[in-house]
Amino acid sequence: MAPNPMNRLLLILCAASLPCEAADVTFYPPQIQLTGARDFQSFIVYEALENGLTKDATAEAKIAVADESIARVEGHSVVPAGDGSTTLQVQFADQTLEVPVQVSLSDQDDDLSFRLDVMPVLTKTGCNSGRCHGAARGKDGFRLSLYGFDPAGDYHRLAQEMPGRRLNLSRPEASLILTKGTGVAPHSGGERFAVGSESYQTLERWLREGANDDLSGVAEATDISIYPPEAVMKSKGQGQQLVVVASYSDGTTRDVTKLSTFISNNDNAAEVSETGLIESHNRGEAFVMARFDSFTEGIPVISLPAEADMQMEIAETGNYIDELVNAKLRKLLIRPSELCSDERFLRRAYIDIIGLTPTEDDYERFMADTASGKRARLIDELLDREEFIDLWAMKLGEMLKIRTANQVSYKALLGFHNWVRHQIANDMPLNELLAEVIRAEGGTFDSPATNYYQIEANNRLLSENVAQSFLGMRIQCAQCHNHPFDRWTMDDYYGFTAFFSRIGFKQSTDPREYIVHELDQGETYHVVDNRTVAPKYLGGATPETDGQKRRSVLAHWISDHENPYVATNLANIVWAHHMGRGIVEPVDDVRISNPPVNAALLTELASRFRATNFNLKELVRDICNSRTYQLSTQANQTNTEDLTNFSKAAVRRIRAEVLLDSLSRITNTSTRFARLPENARSVQIADGAVSNYFLSTFGRANRETVCSCEVDVVPTLSQAFHLINGETTNDRIEEGGLVSELLKAGATPPQIIERLYVRCYTRKPTPMEVEKILASFESDDLESELHDVFWALLNSREFLFNR
Amino acid sequence: MNHLKNTRRSALQLGTLSALGLSLGQMLRAETRAPAKETPPCESVIQIYLPGGIAHQELVDPKPAAPVEYRGEMDSIETSIPGVRFNELMKETAKVADRLCVVRSMTHTEAAHERGTHNMMTGYRPSPAIVYPSMGSLISHELGGLSELPPYVCVPELTSAFSGSGYLSSAFGPFTLGGDPARRSFKVRDLALPGGVDEERFAKRKRLLAGIDSTFTNAESADGIDAMKSFYERAYSMLASKEAVEAFNISAENDTTRDLYGRNSAGARMLMARRLIEAGVRFVSLSYGAWDTHTYHFRTTLRQLPPFDQAFGALIADLDERGMLEKTMVVVCSEFGRTPMVNAGAGRDHWPRVFSTILAGGGVKAGHIHGESDAIAAEPATAPVSPEDFACTVYRQLGIAPTKELMAPGNRPLEIVDGGSAVDEIIA
Repeated sequence: MAPNPMNRLLLILCAASLPCEAADVTFYPPQIQLTGARDFQSFIVYEALENGLTKDATAEAKIAVADESIARVEGHSVVPAGDGSTTLQVQFADQTLEVPVQVSLSDQDDDLSFRLDVMPVLTKTGCNSGRCHGAARGKDGFRLSLYGFDPAGDYHRLAQEMPGRRLNLSRPEASLILTKGTGVAPHSGGERFAVGSESYQTLERWLREGANDDLSGVAEATDISIYPPEAVMKSKGQGQQLVVVASYSDGTTRDVTKLSTFISNNDNAAEVSETGLIESHNRGEAFVMARFDSFTEGIPVISLPAEADMQMEIAETGNYIDELVNAKLRKLLIRPSELCSDERFLRRAYIDIIGLTPTEDDYERFMADTASGKRARLIDELLDREEFIDLWAMKLGEMLKIRTANQVSYKALLGFHNWVRHQIANDMPLNELLAEVIRAEGGTFDSPATNYYQIEANNRLLSENVAQSFLGMRIQCAQCHNHPFDRWTMDDYYGFTAFFSRIGFKQSTDPREYIVHELDQGETYHVVDNRTVAPKYLGGATPETDGQKRRSVLAHWISDHENPYVATNLANIVWAHHMGRGIVEPVDDVRISNPPVNAALLTELASRFRATNFNLKELVRDICNSRTYQLSTQANQTNTEDLTNFSKAAVRRIRAEVLLDSLSRITNTSTRFARLPENARSVQIADGAVSNYFLSTFGRANRETVCSCEVDVVPTLSQAFHLINGETTNDRIEEGGLVSELLKAGATPPQIIERLYVRCYTRKPTPMEVEKILASFESDDLESELHDVFWALLNSREFLFNR
Repeated sequence: MNHLKNTRRSALQLGTLSALGLSLGQMLRAETRAPAKETPPCESVIQIYLPGGIAHQELVDPKPAAPVEYRGEMDSIETSIPGVRFNELMKETAKVADRLCVVRSMTHTEAAHERGTHNMMTGYRPSPAIVYPSMGSLISHELGGLSELPPYVCVPELTSAFSGSGYLSSAFGPFTLGGDPARRSFKVRDLALPGGVDEERFAKRKRLLAGIDSTFTNAESADGIDAMKSFYERAYSMLASKEAVEAFNISAENDTTRDLYGRNSAGARMLMARRLIEAGVRFVSLSYGAWDTHTYHFRTTLRQLPPFDQAFGALIADLDERGMLEKTMVVVCSEFGRTPMVNAGAGRDHWPRVFSTILAGGGVKAGHIHGESDAIAAEPATAPVSPEDFACTVYRQLGIAPTKELMAPGNRPLEIVDGGSAVDEIIA
């Protein structure tokens, strides 16, 4: 809900003896709508100070209603007095805000509703949580649906499963729901609410009114809004009250602050009370969420050191990426690191853009170039290399799970891999590439994208895979219950699955080939009530699919520029590849409770990506040309502790394929991979099932799942043993014969050492380093001595890490 | 009170790994280790994991009096504990029952493999945002090793997706054998210096590497770099120790012992575990079989259980004979049990409401049965034990306080176990 501009004034506060301080004051919620005698609306006055801090100024504001016959202010809430419209006069310092108030049905005090009043109490007090009665089989013989996804079932179990026990209409106070809930009767869950509390009163009144189920057509919550939009506070003890407003299908709104469950993802930085009051603690960032019904929304909260100087000048700027990264850093009082050296940049860009370390020639050429703009030129050059295509064909192969299996022959799989590679080589917009996969029909040989449906034929798993790799979301939980920490409901899950309910398979003449086609019938059924579920875009509309192929309809949505997830997800994946960490991390776990560290940055990357028509190269170009990408790994005084906001470059172990391919090239050797030509690189392996000891030990994805976690760059003891004693270092140094070749050509040991350094580390050794190595020589067998140097260079962490 | 704490915990679990925080390396260095008080009863652990969810009914909790659709088609046998019966295939285990402590009332609520496995491997319910360390990694972190060998070894591969170091530094991750010791060709790779490199040359290489590395490590700091450094140090010390390398050489065992354990995966893995513990590994985690028997349950059990039984019986007897059982806890577990009623496909499905684990040694009672399941093995009838209780018990025997707080990224204090309490009744 966009704040009403009426309430947003720039106040100039001028005290006599102090310089002017400009502040931005906002009243939340932007308007007040009261329906019925019981209704009320709490509010906050929120001040954004010029130094970047925010403040809860509610207590300092003077608030009055223009017409007291329409509404009254009680504490920090507005309550109805009579039907009509009026305004709230909010006085802060010498400025006044006016907020519209509308009241209707002010004399009507309806009976309580099971869905609108009782269910929220069961959720707020934790009765239907997964640890309690919301568990799949209930708890202690009583079951509720998890977070209330099945109100009809819950009513049945409360009212009819054990008549007169859980709800006792003749003696409401003797109902188990009250005696257990208050802990008066023995209850494993203890006291959930006190006798006489608001929760108690709601339940008791509903019982007194007859504990009726709702008539059909009761309004449903359609969305919630949480205010204010963010909070930046000094650490320890600053407060900010939240207001949560739910909108309903009948157009009404309701203050659900008291009925929401609040969660902070980092209590250490900011804690939130049951009533929605945030309190700052130690320096750090937190995301504070409110959950009501099936909706979760949250706001970012920053807690800054109390003694900090509130000014953070960041002079250096680069492209739009840097502006957005720095805007966040300013809030955190962090200064980004310096720019990295040319040598570092060269190695980093090669590894990230083409998946290889630079050769000696690459090094000499780049270092000899003294003209300005050489980094940008290098990026352009690398983007035109074949290896760039190979690298992204591999990354998409991981997302699409390209791997041989019982039903997927190597021939079919290779066709799929080549198809993906071909599309990337031809700069096909990535959204179109994904859409082509979604709508694919035909033979798995002739129309290779159809292999996607051979690789995973179960339509539930298929829709989960599409959500995870195309949209970056994990919807698995919603198969069995509404997602507790996200917006996904079972309706969303089955609605999305319904797009894949009409996939047909036929045998072709070649026993290895299958024909994938669209059937004209086939439905998805909801697991709770077995009803047919119509295809529904995740978090979006229910499109007309009659007379159309369901997957074609979905493909259209995937490639549509209006699609809210695809561009963001792809931009985040590309970002994470280059920066070592996603803006949402992990990249395939986008959810409200895992917010982006820099939402503005992600939004802008996605919007530029759309503007270039989903051009991968343009996105990589922007990222690599940013100052942020080119930062040093060295921390300054302000950013040593920052690992997430891109204020310095991340040190990362190089991924398995890139490490092996670089090692092969450095040692002048090659590796044989099944079904690949002699000099192929491991990045080019089409089949996830093909691996070797080195690749498996260094964490190559075998593509059994679409999870981004399959690519593992965590160091292990086995990796150390392999580099120390294994064939990949020892045998190759000998086999490649590089040292003996150089010796034969008349190179001196210092020259050879220098060349090995350039090959392995993309830098020349310092004179000290050369001297130290030469001093270690013990024999006249130069080849053996230099092989030891080579071994040591490949075993150093300087080789294994990208920095 | 307990409940309030849980709320705070669940809120913490929601956290992302983001936010401002020290690098892991710094954090772990800053972490103060608990001062050792008295000598704990247990020094090391062998974790035998039966992935897929082994049926408690066909292991150590048969229900001979239940109707046949619950009882299943297998019989039960007497054990060396009077009045206690195991599945009929558990012949060797039955003989050593007087040295075991069987918990028949394990219970949790996670019926999906990965979630149940997470429970049993980490003692924590899975969280949407934080990755918890496995018990093996946690024990490595808290207690370190007992010799040149790595403190935590997985046999033959990573036992599960949750057997890693979680939010702790990857330096506490397991060493994996990389192959099944039952294979004739089995050898841990790269444990010997390559041809042409003798001790002397290797020493020189190490000196060279140290010199070359110093430029880099003085300049960079990151968790991965520190972890790799610790792995190189570990590798060097193992390579310098004949005993350490020899520990992996299963063919050094005589024929009688190999036959006693069984010349198959179960036998070789458990024998390997004993060798590793003997040589100073702190925590060996081994997996055996595939127990997700939704169909052909009894046929699969008939095939997989006898080798387990033989090896496990031999392991307990062997550890006991060598005097190692006193200080070594053996734990047999699985992510959950299986449904009370046999399904239409002659299978049993997932069942976390009640299942069994077997413990032995390390200061737990011998010849003891803790808790019972009800008449059809569907719910705990007495003394339910949660994964948290289970983890607390193991940690406490090792002298690790389950309530100690460790720092997760974002300066977030997390207790080693969230709630739960050690099961006093099973401690000797």
